[in-house]
Amino acid sequence: MKIIACYSNKGGVGKTATAVNLAYALAAKGQRTLLCDLDPQGASSFYFRVKPSKKLTETKFFEDVERFTKAIRASDYDGLDILPANMTFRDFDVFLSRMRNSRSRLKKALKAVKGDYDVILLDCPPNISTLSENVFSAADGIVVPVIPTTLSQRTYVQLEQFFQANKLPLKKLHAFFSMTQGVKSLHGQTMEEMRKQHKKRFLKTQIAFTSDIERMGVQRAPVMATAPRSQAAQTYGTLHDELMERL
Amino acid sequence: MSLTSVPTYLVRSDALDTLSGKPIGKLRARLTRGENDFPFTVLDTHDEHLRRRGICLVQSGSDLLLWPAAHGPITQNVGKDAVGFVTDLPDGPIRQALGVVPELRSLLPMAQGRMQQVLLALVDTEEKTRARAEFHVLTAQEGSAAIVQPQALRGYDGAYTQLIATLGECGAKTLTEASVIAALNPDHRPYVAKPDLELDAKTTAYDAATEIIKAYLAVARRNEAGIIADTDIEFLHDYRIALRKIRSVLSLFKGVYKDKQTLALKQQFSDLMALTGRLRDLDVYLQDRQFFFDLLPESLHAGLDQMFQMFAEERTAQLATLAAHLQSPAYEAEITALINRFDTCRKLRPGPEGERNAQTYAAKLIWKRYRKICRIAEAIDDQTEDEMVHELRIQCKKLRYLMEFFAPAFPKTTFKSLLKPLKKLQDNLGLFNDYSVQQDSLAAFLDSLGTKDHDRNMQLAQSVGALIAVLHQRQREERLKVVDSFAIFNSTETQQTFRDLFHGGKS
Repeated sequence: MKIIACYSNKGGVGKTATAVNLAYALAAKGQRTLLCDLDPQGASSFYFRVKPSKKLTETKFFEDVERFTKAIRASDYDGLDILPANMTFRDFDVFLSRMRNSRSRLKKALKAVKGDYDVILLDCPPNISTLSENVFSAADGIVVPVIPTTLSQRTYVQLEQFFQANKLPLKKLHAFFSMTQGVKSLHGQTMEEMRKQHKKRFLKTQIAFTSDIERMGVQRAPVMATAPRSQAAQTYGTLHDELMERL
Repeated sequence: MSLTSVPTYLVRSDALDTLSGKPIGKLRARLTRGENDFPFTVLDTHDEHLRRRGICLVQSGSDLLLWPAAHGPITQNVGKDAVGFVTDLPDGPIRQALGVVPELRSLLPMAQGRMQQVLLALVDTEEKTRARAEFHVLTAQEGSAAIVQPQALRGYDGAYTQLIATLGECGAKTLTEASVIAALNPDHRPYVAKPDLELDAKTTAYDAATEIIKAYLAVARRNEAGIIADTDIEFLHDYRIALRKIRSVLSLFKGVYKDKQTLALKQQFSDLMALTGRLRDLDVYLQDRQFFFDLLPESLHAGLDQMFQMFAEERTAQLATLAAHLQSPAYEAEITALINRFDTCRKLRPGPEGERNAQTYAAKLIWKRYRKICRIAEAIDDQTEDEMVHELRIQCKKLRYLMEFFAPAFPKTTFKSLLKPLKKLQDNLGLFNDYSVQQDSLAAFLDSLGTKDHDRNMQLAQSVGALIAVLHQRQREERLKVVDSFAIFNSTETQQTFRDLFHGGKS
């Protein structure tokens, strides 16, 4: 089982759109996927029309296997489930380690309902907190969307610094350029610079800013499902392929 | 992601109109109809082996679809050729799922028409799907129905429960309870090889005999088309068993009809059967081809090859003769006359035992036959002549038929406890007999070879001679088991049960 996190320490960079489409692409390729909506400001659950469960409270949530498995909701797509928790989790690291441990009660409970997963995708909140630290150490890879602007450049550097300071392996970071606009020459320059500075950290694929992606909020579905032939959908497909090759 | 597998249902096709747009609790039913419809054929064996196990198999173009399955149907591409025996299918999920079909039975088209796929989603106010069902609407000339595969979605147990309840309101039944074939063709009557006799306290022996014969005449008729079309060898087998059972009724139910009429009828049914004997023998040889090859060393296989080639040619000829007979006006007239005779009971006068109560009469016959079997068996040891063993086999067969005819009159589980060990004993005696009959028929085959083509005949004679020797050895081995087999059958419990059921508990 693989754990992949979608993370950005800056908001509004297309992180949730990435998580939603990556999750869809993984499931479409036959990977049983669980998308955990950990970002209170994000909208993974919203995009899949899943209402957050009212019954859940933060307290000891991940110690309670039954409540956890009960909170999972099927999406409208085969092989893709959502954990619409939409809150901060203190014991999230406990949860992740249990998901990995085949002897844990959590894992057994999932297996019992044929609900074991090949990939767990995390849509993380945009701040570096205890939760993020847990996620960074537990994840096999961290996908980081970066808008090619000076400001984003700075926040990406901060993230790498955080990794170094906490002795986390940098090679877990898989950054890519998001919301790029061909007409802006600054975008082109920044991308070139950053690719040089952070060799190997950036994927080749870049996701352009398109209205198809913006419309996801209206359609409330992954662009890969509503407009599979659109350029945006195809690029998310390429992003999935490139990422899975690296992981 | 779906939960564990759920049952597949059959529902009237107009249920979809009822469901369309309907509010179901706080949810709404949304239907998406497939743009095209496709031709379909429901496949099953003549005895509806699949339907009786709650399985529905459909061919559409070059695809096979099978229910029940966790998600939609199981599918497999099998090409454009007509589907016959499961063992001839290419390897794949359907072939695996069809492992339950007896290998002697061929799949047959049971209903045909056009098929359309319709998806049902129960959606909430956010347009989120909370439960799903996939409908395959089958429309045939005489009727229509939809196969429904509901799908539970994780985290939405309530919606699934509502879906199942709504389907129930529409009259949905699981595939184990309902027949797709019957839904598409209301006139369809399933084939039953062993029909149950309806007995009540007032049924006379005459009525019982007549009912059994009528039922088995119908069974025989249901097998004619399959014999003529050479669909599979079970048609002829069932046809012969039906006739043999009728003959057994005539000979076992002594005095139920006038002696003269009984005698004439027995002769008539024997004559009908006589035309089928050789074909059945050849069917068995050809079916067991591998078994015979395994009995002999490879050096003798060439002769066997020749023998089987001759058998195959002879079978073709025998089948043509029998098919012509079954399609002849004379046969049609004869079998129709027989059916009419037992239907109207004209020229079917009761004999001295005819008015007896069927149940007490049955008990008497069964007890008598059982006692006879015990007497024969007691005299058998390892030195006894084979003739006695043959006699034991024949009597066991008669007892088995009697018990099966009257099974509905006796307590089911107790009855089964007698039939099971009896079947085991019969397996042993049956093999003993088969090996013996085959030795005779192979010897007769050798005699028939004539003097032409000396070289070929030498090769044949060597192989067939060796085969006879091996079969003789096998027959000896079965012979040695007979004393033990009988002892296992005739345990103290068996003896007591026979006394209790058929002789008022007395010995």
